Amino acid sequence: MPRSQSTSERSTSSQQTNPSRWQGAGWPAFVSSLKDVAVIEDAPMRGTFATDAGGTSYGMPHGVVIARSAAQISALLKAAQAHRVPVTVRGGGLTTEGESVAFGGVLLDMTGMSKCLFIDPQKLEVRVEAGIFWASLAEHLRRQGMDYLSAPLNLTSSVGGTLGVGGIDVNSARFGCSADQALALQVVTPTGEIVECSDEANPELFRRVILGYGQFGVITEATLRIRRYTPIRMRYYYYASLRTAIEDLQMLDREQAADYTGILTMMDAAINLLVAFDSGEREAAFDAKWHSRVRGMGEAAFSARAFLSYLVRPWRWGEALFLRDRKRQLFPEFRRPEHTRDGKMEDRSVVFSRAVWKFWGGRQMVIPDLATSSAKFAEAVERGNAVCKRFFPRYTLYCVGIRLREEHRPHYEMSCIPPDAAGWAYGCEFEPMIGDGTWSRDHLQSFKNAIYDIGVEMGASYYRFGGMMKGYVRRVFGDPLVDRHLAMKRAADPAMILNRDVIF
Amino acid sequence: MRTVDTLIVGASLAGAAAAKRNVDAGLETVILERKELPRHKICSGILSPRGHRFLIENFGPLPREALHEPTSCRGVTFHFPCLIPLSMDFFGGPTPHLHRRYSDHWAIKRSGAEVHDRTSFVGLEDHGDHVIVHARQSGNPVTYKARQVIGADGPSSLVIRSIYPDYPKQIPWFFVGQKFHDIVDCPLDPQYFHFWFHPQLGHYTWSHARDGRQIVGVGFKRGDNFEARHRQVKQYLEDKHQVRLARHEDEEGCAENFGPSLVNRYVFGKGNVLITGQATGFLNMIGEGMSCALHSGAIAGEAVVEARLRGRPVQEMYRRMIASEVRRTTDQWNPLKIAFGKPHEADFPQALMKLSWRERGLVLRDMWNFLLLYKEFKWGRQIAALAGQRLFSAGYSAQRWL
Repeated sequence: MPRSQSTSERSTSSQQTNPSRWQGAGWPAFVSSLKDVAVIEDAPMRGTFATDAGGTSYGMPHGVVIARSAAQISALLKAAQAHRVPVTVRGGGLTTEGESVAFGGVLLDMTGMSKCLFIDPQKLEVRVEAGIFWASLAEHLRRQGMDYLSAPLNLTSSVGGTLGVGGIDVNSARFGCSADQALALQVVTPTGEIVECSDEANPELFRRVILGYGQFGVITEATLRIRRYTPIRMRYYYYASLRTAIEDLQMLDREQAADYTGILTMMDAAINLLVAFDSGEREAAFDAKWHSRVRGMGEAAFSARAFLSYLVRPWRWGEALFLRDRKRQLFPEFRRPEHTRDGKMEDRSVVFSRAVWKFWGGRQMVIPDLATSSAKFAEAVERGNAVCKRFFPRYTLYCVGIRLREEHRPHYEMSCIPPDAAGWAYGCEFEPMIGDGTWSRDHLQSFKNAIYDIGVEMGASYYRFGGMMKGYVRRVFGDPLVDRHLAMKRAADPAMILNRDVIF
Repeated sequence: MRTVDTLIVGASLAGAAAAKRNVDAGLETVILERKELPRHKICSGILSPRGHRFLIENFGPLPREALHEPTSCRGVTFHFPCLIPLSMDFFGGPTPHLHRRYSDHWAIKRSGAEVHDRTSFVGLEDHGDHVIVHARQSGNPVTYKARQVIGADGPSSLVIRSIYPDYPKQIPWFFVGQKFHDIVDCPLDPQYFHFWFHPQLGHYTWSHARDGRQIVGVGFKRGDNFEARHRQVKQYLEDKHQVRLARHEDEEGCAENFGPSLVNRYVFGKGNVLITGQATGFLNMIGEGMSCALHSGAIAGEAVVEARLRGRPVQEMYRRMIASEVRRTTDQWNPLKIAFGKPHEADFPQALMKLSWRERGLVLRDMWNFLLLYKEFKWGRQIAALAGQRLFSAGYSAQRWL
């Protein structure tokens, strides 16, 4: 077969983003070989895992295994290799494209392993089981006055799942993506070996598992770097231009002017730049040096400007009413008295996570994203914004910087971090407000494709991809790199059973 | 009596897409097909880019036997009485030229559903919580009990007739037929699908290359004469385009339900019976129905799954979810969208703007004269009203659907 044809076939075969269901060959023999591992086969239990947070992909595992220990997972994976039964690992199930949905085979529910094993305030480390949710971890840490470095705003995601894909927070411009806070992991490899890995011990496995989309092992325990907890002082600046807001965000990140930065839009003409500080000193320094350079307005000035603008444009009064209502619902949520003390926000984790579910959650969620170098970011967001406009009447953009750790470059290979990014990468999530509406999966897929196509054209990456990655991975990273990782995957997982169809 | 979760009538692309969604969700799914698979299907085989993408994303890369020669189509060329050609490439590059006999069979196999071929649908009874379907398998009566039935059996759908016996009388019917000629000399670019906006040639006139032969296709209101229409087009191609063809060796034709997409009069079923694919009336502007069939089929399958998980009536879910496909398809016939949006998968406005002012005038004049051919169906006011409503809403009214 000519080389070019083979490459082209490889490329199109990898674009099957909706995988075929595994039909169950050899399932009874597999189950009976698992003497010490309980496989739940009753339909109601399996039905619990029919979909993920995205609510658009539906699958049905043949059986569910609740994770209890690394030894149990090891036995499961050894049997799965022998019988060639696919195993899909699920933490909080917060994927949006079916990555944690099992299209047949075993669904391994990691929430059965959710203990906080120990906290070391002196060494600033915590050891957890990987199925723990960030919300639970926050509770454990707060009791000792500690905090994690960064976690997804949606705190019902699991630690293991987050380390596998990336994770961002409004302090990622300072601390990097959530996966970068991992110091060491206990991993069960696809062939069932239980291995401890870190930058020093088994570094190659550590590199592949971090940001590895669950391809090279099941994370069962993780040691994370932590820090002292502080309440934060929040500031909001308002913009009518995406580009201006992004330029200011990047300037503040570059000059490390604040401890927390991020952009959240209500509409593309009502953009909020969030800036926050861990201490009064940092805030005072910001006021002295950077406040005057930020081009955003205060809330009152922006409201007055928007009012005048809409006054002479009666055909846009629908927008104005939406903005007014959104503001009335959303703003008090970030200033709830029980979470505010002396003007400081106590526990942003709770405030943000609550707001995420309340205002952006829904039965269907679709959140395609783009991650680019600093230089390409404004253009990527503007193009993505134009796509959102074409598909949905209302949507939100969420943008943050991600500080890169040079020593972690090997972790970033073929991951959410774009290869051309230096210093910081920037990510933008494009989230339509679906609310109680129901859209067809194909409409949502077309929307995602339109966003991801921008990424292919611009040489960007994606920071929380999965299902889409299979469809785009070769176009984004090119055949040589993907083939190298595929060879590593085949060596590590000979029967290709672990988290099938997410990437390969 | 066989009991299943979902029964799909018609082993078409729409049926394959619906089956895939049901099988993925773990539902027991059976497809009935009256012919023996792989079966022949009358079709141009020219797939739009959106349909191509759907096939790849859901079924993987197409095998070679599922393609005709030339294996791909770059786009569409419009021809007019003024003899100014207008060529447009598909957005996103060439698309496959499907051999429906094998492409449909391949997709059906990839869906993972159980197929009962040589099994003809006869009728159904919807009992509220299940549907009893009567069929004949190789001549013997068989019965199925299903929670939901999806009718994906094409324009002359028997499933539609079983729930709306009068439906065929409510819409105008067309006949489309194509004849296959050996080529003596054909200057028409084989990489493009050629379409004629010519009121004297008929309502739908096309030509394209396939497996070393040239297809000459004609579409007209039912009741006209296929032979005479075809002879006229063949002569026109020879006179105006210097296309010299040998006498045709094969021919085929079928009834076409052209019209519902233009005026938003789709039929989506009743109770536990969903209608999908071209049976609903979905048809793109170049007469391409496969991409709509794939997407609407998938949506029908999703609606069944959603309805079960949410405990909602399946028709409610289907009608909510199909709205995006209705919008996409009916936008293609909306004159305001054509003028100011980009509803098609090739750039007509850009191709038009490449012409001189005089040529643009001639082309638009010819298009208008062609549209007058459809005057008797009284669609003009309905299309204008829909275009007006669309200005103020995000979609088209569900009240007009059956």
